Amino acid sequence: MLELDGLTRHYRTRHGVVRAVENVSLTLRAGGTLALVGESGCGKTTIAKMILQLEQPDAGTIRFEGADVAHMDRAALHRYRRDVMAVFQDPYASLNPRMRVANIIAEPILAHEKPGRAALDKRIAEVLDIVGLPVSAARLYPHEFSGGQRQRIAIARALALQPRLMVLDEPVSALDVSIRAQVLNLLQDIQDQFGLTYLIIAHDLALVEHFSSDVAVIYLGRVAEAGPTAEVFAGPRHPYTQALLAAVPLPDPDHVLSEAAAAGEIASALNPPPGCRFNPRCPRAQDICRTTVPELRGTPHAAACHLVSEPPRT
Amino acid sequence: MLLSVRNLQTHLHLRRGVLRAVDGVSLDVAEGETLGLVGESGSGKTMTGLSLLRLLPKGSGRIAGGSISLDGRELTTLSESELVREIRGRRIAMIMQDPMTSLNPVFSIGDQVGNPLRNHDIARGTAVRAAVVDVLRRVRLPSPADRLDDHPHQFSGGQRQRIVAAMAIGCTPRLLIADEPTTALDVTIQVQIIGLLRQIQADTGAGIILITHDLGVAASLCHRIAVMYAGQIVETGPVRRIYRQPAHPYTRALLEAIPRLGAKRGRLAAIQGQPPSLIDPPTGCRFAPRCALRMDKCAEAPPEITLADGHRAACWKLADA
Repeated sequence: MLELDGLTRHYRTRHGVVRAVENVSLTLRAGGTLALVGESGCGKTTIAKMILQLEQPDAGTIRFEGADVAHMDRAALHRYRRDVMAVFQDPYASLNPRMRVANIIAEPILAHEKPGRAALDKRIAEVLDIVGLPVSAARLYPHEFSGGQRQRIAIARALALQPRLMVLDEPVSALDVSIRAQVLNLLQDIQDQFGLTYLIIAHDLALVEHFSSDVAVIYLGRVAEAGPTAEVFAGPRHPYTQALLAAVPLPDPDHVLSEAAAAGEIASALNPPPGCRFNPRCPRAQDICRTTVPELRGTPHAAACHLVSEPPRT
Repeated sequence: MLLSVRNLQTHLHLRRGVLRAVDGVSLDVAEGETLGLVGESGSGKTMTGLSLLRLLPKGSGRIAGGSISLDGRELTTLSESELVREIRGRRIAMIMQDPMTSLNPVFSIGDQVGNPLRNHDIARGTAVRAAVVDVLRRVRLPSPADRLDDHPHQFSGGQRQRIVAAMAIGCTPRLLIADEPTTALDVTIQVQIIGLLRQIQADTGAGIILITHDLGVAASLCHRIAVMYAGQIVETGPVRRIYRQPAHPYTRALLEAIPRLGAKRGRLAAIQGQPPSLIDPPTGCRFAPRCALRMDKCAEAPPEITLADGHRAACWKLADA
């Protein structure tokens, strides 16, 4: 459905060039959920922004159902913009506090079509119902809702144009633990009901395992490992993925965390290390890792690691 | 007992009314022990921590009742100047969530880590610098002697949290309150800070109160857990009891609601509804409106039931069993 090919984005700053995204190629299957995983600053949000056309790539292509987004004509791009919608992390920041919920939801609809008043009200009532809010919510302002309800409003707005792909940027990380499950279940119900494709950005690996069908692990702007979520989590091949999974604290007092798997600090994208970008932290790094960028190899479960032919961790 | 809190009541006087942020909290922390104060935002866990240091919001916050005793000394009756001189930063220190807000961007880290040492007469004059290097070494900041004149922005997030920890442990406090100390950090850095807190405790024997909403972080670091809901502790016990045999319906629901790595679940068991307002909390059990096991009796305040050594929960269901 969506193909990213060689996507690259650099930012020129006073201090030099930030290599935020470097040669990222990924595929989203229709009806699937691809999770982008990685530490803050690894480039996952920049990838999402390029998909949403909020940023333009310096190199590489984004193809939506075979059509290159960069070469779409006005009409096609208009169509793309209603097919691809987003839900952001913080529902306190993403909803305009001065607008009533009805207008918040109507805004994207009116940007694309001219429905009559009655048809518009009906659409608003429909999407509110889908996200589990009463029709009376339409008359209220965002501050009259809790965080979980606000995120439902943001989801309703994203749904209003019946998109086909939704970009979910940390959709529950600003919510309380007891509310997260409500919103995650809602997102799964909506996906099943409308056959949506999701791209989710998340740092909570347990959530990613639960929620996604495919996963791409990003480290300093490059894909370290990608594949079906179940396979990647059951047998991580890249030492970085292994380190990530070993560092997740489990709700189990007898689980022992491994600090050794990724020592040191995350390097800067301003001055990334040569070769494999993980090599300064990698417990298994060898000479080749310090000089040569490893290619992403394997299908559908791929890893970019020179040592990947060695037996994976047991 | 290092710290004993009994029936603590902390009120916030707001325009809308009096918010009972902490409503009858009792807890103990032994030397060398880590107590996890677990709950959602607004449950009163941070207010409990701030009450111990009497660092409540100016004007609106005040301790309305209860007692706080540290090494047998009552803190609620101390004057502000006694607190500043003898307790805050000296015997009880705090590590906050976001290192960028607890560090001052315009002062060097040598100054900031040295301040509590000077204020509490741990080191004087030229000895301060050496003491700062020593404490930065203890939090495993790389090459500390070369970096004393650097400013907070010159460090990574994980390093900043190490510097904040150094500020807190410089005076070897008896009790360390760590409020979401890893929440702003990435997971591979988080595990390093968890290791650091463990090491600080092993070195100094300090008691730690870990305030967190993350049930994974709490499990990895704590000896005992107190689960807070709507300003009250609903269940407390040894960490294994809480995770293996949770008794209170809220604790059970929380553990069911989170996805677990390596244990794929069909659908998460969501908790319906949301926490009550603490300006006008429901009488009786505060979780009752969201509880699947609710009974008529829950309209009255539930009794605290002892289930095992040190394992207690406040629920009518347990009283009947």
